[in-house]
Amino acid sequence: MEQEQPKKVRSEFIFFAWRNAKLRIGVSILLVFIVFAVVGPFLVKYDPYEYSGPMGAPPSREHWFGTTIFGQDVFSQFALGTRSTLTVGLLGGCIGTMVGILVGLLGGYRGGMLDEFLNVITNIILIIPTLAVLIIIAAYLEVRGILTQSLFIGLTAWPWAARAIRAQTFSLRVREFVDLARITGRSSLRIVLTEIAPNMMSYLLLVFILQFGGAVLNAATLDFIGLGPTKGVSLGLIMNNAVLWAALQLGMWWWLLPPGATIAAIVGALYITNVGLDEIFNPKLREM
Amino acid sequence: MSRKLMFVVLSALVVGSLLLTACQPQTVTVVQTVPVKETVPVIITPTPAPSPVVYPRNETLYTSGKQWGPPTSWNPLQPGSYAMGVIGLCYETLFLFDPLKNEYIPWLAESGQFVSDKVYEVKLRQGIQWQDGQPFTAADVVYTFELGKLPGVYYAGLWNWMEKVEAVDDYTVRFTFKEVRHQSWWNTLYNTAIVPKHAWEGRSQEEIVNGPNLPPMGTGAYMYDTHSEDRMVWKRNDNWWATKLLGRSVAPKYILDIVNPSNNVALGLFLKGEMDLSNNFLPGIATLVKGGYGVKTWYDDAPFMLSANTAFLFMNTTKKPMDDPAFRKAMAYAVNVDEIVTKVYGNIVQKANPSGLLPTWEQYVDPAVVSELGFSYNPDQAKKILDQAGYKDVDGDGFREAPDGSKIALKIIVPFGWTDWMESIRVIAAGAQAVGINLQPDFPDFGGYWDQLTGGTFDMAINNFGSNLSDTPYTFYAWLFRNPIEASMPNGNFGRYENPEVFALVDELDRTPKEQMGAVISKIQRIQLTEMPAVPLWYNGLWAQWNETYWTNWPGAAEGLPKYLPCTWNGYWNMTSILMLTELKPAQSQ
Amino acid sequence: MGRYLGRKLLIYALTFFLAVTIDWMIPRFMPGDPVSLMIARIGTRPEAAEVLRGYFIQAFGLDVPLWQQYLNFWKALFQGDLGVSIWLYPQPVIKIIQRAIPYDLFILLPAILLSWFAGNHVGALAARARWLDNTLLPVGYLLTATPYMWLAILLAWSLGNVAGVFPIAGAYSFSIRPHLSLRFILDLLHHWFLPFLSLFLVMFGGWAIGMRNMIIYEMESDYSRYLEALGTPQKLIRKYAFRNAMLPQITGLALQLGGIVAGAVATEVVFAYPGIGYIILNAVQNQDYFLLQGCFLFIIIGVLLANFLIDIVYVIVDPRTRLGMTGE
Repeated sequence: MEQEQPKKVRSEFIFFAWRNAKLRIGVSILLVFIVFAVVGPFLVKYDPYEYSGPMGAPPSREHWFGTTIFGQDVFSQFALGTRSTLTVGLLGGCIGTMVGILVGLLGGYRGGMLDEFLNVITNIILIIPTLAVLIIIAAYLEVRGILTQSLFIGLTAWPWAARAIRAQTFSLRVREFVDLARITGRSSLRIVLTEIAPNMMSYLLLVFILQFGGAVLNAATLDFIGLGPTKGVSLGLIMNNAVLWAALQLGMWWWLLPPGATIAAIVGALYITNVGLDEIFNPKLREM
Repeated sequence: MSRKLMFVVLSALVVGSLLLTACQPQTVTVVQTVPVKETVPVIITPTPAPSPVVYPRNETLYTSGKQWGPPTSWNPLQPGSYAMGVIGLCYETLFLFDPLKNEYIPWLAESGQFVSDKVYEVKLRQGIQWQDGQPFTAADVVYTFELGKLPGVYYAGLWNWMEKVEAVDDYTVRFTFKEVRHQSWWNTLYNTAIVPKHAWEGRSQEEIVNGPNLPPMGTGAYMYDTHSEDRMVWKRNDNWWATKLLGRSVAPKYILDIVNPSNNVALGLFLKGEMDLSNNFLPGIATLVKGGYGVKTWYDDAPFMLSANTAFLFMNTTKKPMDDPAFRKAMAYAVNVDEIVTKVYGNIVQKANPSGLLPTWEQYVDPAVVSELGFSYNPDQAKKILDQAGYKDVDGDGFREAPDGSKIALKIIVPFGWTDWMESIRVIAAGAQAVGINLQPDFPDFGGYWDQLTGGTFDMAINNFGSNLSDTPYTFYAWLFRNPIEASMPNGNFGRYENPEVFALVDELDRTPKEQMGAVISKIQRIQLTEMPAVPLWYNGLWAQWNETYWTNWPGAAEGLPKYLPCTWNGYWNMTSILMLTELKPAQSQ
Repeated sequence: MGRYLGRKLLIYALTFFLAVTIDWMIPRFMPGDPVSLMIARIGTRPEAAEVLRGYFIQAFGLDVPLWQQYLNFWKALFQGDLGVSIWLYPQPVIKIIQRAIPYDLFILLPAILLSWFAGNHVGALAARARWLDNTLLPVGYLLTATPYMWLAILLAWSLGNVAGVFPIAGAYSFSIRPHLSLRFILDLLHHWFLPFLSLFLVMFGGWAIGMRNMIIYEMESDYSRYLEALGTPQKLIRKYAFRNAMLPQITGLALQLGGIVAGAVATEVVFAYPGIGYIILNAVQNQDYFLLQGCFLFIIIGVLLANFLIDIVYVIVDPRTRLGMTGE
């Protein structure tokens, strides 16, 4: 019985996962982009900033996504940009979620002085606009890279997650099953881990996925207002350049549309995956 | 990109002030002003007929390209920051300068000439009135020039070599010099806006130098109407003197200058027909001129624009290996300027002459010197020069080492976000790498760029701030060979090239009358092209595009069109743009 | 209740104190010297530059020891003095911000509130109507996943440039002087619509999905099941579920405020809409740290106020929080 349980859970999970259309769609889209981010850069024929083709040319066999106003291959930029954008999302999302879970669970369950302390910290980080922190960091770093960008996006994005998790923990800790657990005399940490956290699993996943998506969107916004990486390519930087050089007004839609659409698709797929997972983790939701 | 124009325009305006600093300060003799006949103070306050709340489209000229932020100053003594049109539309100068014909046009002055070696006499036009109805007289001119004695006024340097200015009578002003600096003097004559003595006399020094001077009141064709964060509105002065005296009048009843949002928003507005004249750098303008969007430029074909300034590749001559003229020369051969012109700018700029002098200064280019010492893109020649000078790839990493065996790893910088320059230095770095020089592009924020550039810690950089169109190549050389070399070099010679011989020649140029400049300039050119302290790359355009929906008879290169500059930037109204305005006609029935 | 809010206020005061302190540090501990950049900008002669430098250092209050600068900063703050802008010298920072704030409120308040209400209701509807769930959700996902500026650019280009229905820049027509008339108000609204719409759409997607997920979560929770077993009417259960699902949505509203700033910056930049976001961009580009400082201070104050208001709402909606806070 003890050994059978996990196996059963796993097969059940896979069974329902396969049946869930939302998850199938979301994960497929994500997989496409992840595979593309891994493989794409090897398919690239040109240096992303090299003037490799005719200027402002529409998509063709030679240049799959057309060229920029200078004749750079948009596909090359796009392939490398997708990779760095996913990297920022993954790293930033991970960092943000970890810190958020830690602060939120701890504060929410323990309450009291620890909660007050964490709450103050959370509030401060939350209220000081992310942009301010990013500008300060940007000014200190003459050259900004993709990794530093994900690091500071993650470190400034966790407060809302912490507060949301804390609020959920609040609601859960006064529910009957937690009270029951408390009566049995289990330690706080165990209650948090065995009673509260599992009941919030889908919520934590939602948090991670929102953090992932948020990091991607944040990075794009930063890139757009000129605080992006000073080296390398990212989807946000491609958009920034396309806008600065008036791609749409000059009819070069192939320069602006792919990066924006890809960001929307990646983040959208994350959200859909999230709902799908939610339905699997909560058997009750499946009936919906 | 967006901030660059601001700097270009700004620096064009301060060129005058740069000019005047060459001399050591000397004690200024007290100037005796000839008392002017007291005019009865008839204060005719311009009764501003309440302006309409909606400006009629067919009576309004919409412009853009000068303001990079909300207008904050209307003080003609603040050349870096005054609002669009303050000098030119509102305050006027004694002369205008026409760079296309290379001649001065008497404006508030009727004539001017040297009456003796060191005395210059200006005759003023009679019948000019300030916008409040007071007559414009010699007292105003004397007052304006004497303001230069206040610390903080940008033309204070003038008094280093001017002895006195006096009004001989109501319409004659006499300037007496300690030493005649011909080039600086002419530059001053068409750049200095005359302010009304009667309105300014009571002001404190602080107010004169730093005050916003709102509302401004001059002699010009337009009066202040209103402004807000995103616009500056001028209203026609129906009593403008030039209508009576010169038979010239301005057609637009209002000029509404739009504060630049960004170049791409400007392009959107322009394509929507919400702007008549745009002096922005608009990407892809060549496509639009050709594509039947009704967009017009000076030339119908490449380069589309007139040239306004020269972009230079500066090399830090205090660092190795940029201290070696052979290395600098090799760089000149290694840069593929044609690729920058065609790819980055889409042919709206032109490749610079090896001398760097703008096309309007073509007569000063010494063809013998240029054909002997000039350069053009030639990687093989660059390699040859490097080989001969001992730069060889010793360790086989694909990049050359210095003759002493030390590694070379250089950076070329432009400010982050100045997209056209960012693209350009990618081309330059690729060119350098192709001949074995390890040069990498780098994009610090503007603050970092400016610190490195003025502090002399950069390796290579692009800059054009002081190479603007003016009446004399002296402004160009004074910037390129700015001296002495100081801890901070914000006004040119960023590479800190030290050469007393060429410094003396530039100083001599200032004292040389226009007709005799050629000889001095060819000596400078010889040194410049031999030593190559900085490499001239391309001419930035006098960005100007317009459409004819509401206003016609714009200038242009084609036969029969007016030949005046279509430009709203500071310092250009007095380079014939005001005359461009007098030629505009409302479009027939819309 | 009073005790709870009192404690909250104390926390906010502490937050404000720390936030202001960090805000004060921005211009002073930035690498690079704002004053010399400014002089470079003015491009004056070297001799005059020294005079100017002294003048500016005094004008910006940089000529006293740091601790005194810090005290002066607080003193000035309570007098509404945020210093002088570098970019728009010599305008006071507070004036520039005062001009911009109405535009921000004008665009952000409706966008946030309307998207929140609409999103919650549509989300709740979607949770119980399968057809709506299937059609509306993909749209919602796409909207909330779209980068603010990308949507803004597409809207500006399609509705502004191609269709020519809406203006693409500014807060009101260049041809109109502000005055009180129907024409001017309509013009304002005309310019307001696209920036509002692009903010509204993105946020709407987020709220709708959030609500939809929470409702389903709540509807399937133990208490709902229990109520169902007791034969409670579906309508009532849904009401409870909606109330419970509101909690994270309310928290989310408070938390999103800070993040919306970034969205507002991007949107205002695309439409050249003269709010704080547009000013921040200009302050960044012009290294105007004093202006930046002022802008952030106002954002901090705004977000703090909103947080406090939302805290009150939260207490009213969820009594358990009150117990949790005051218990133990």
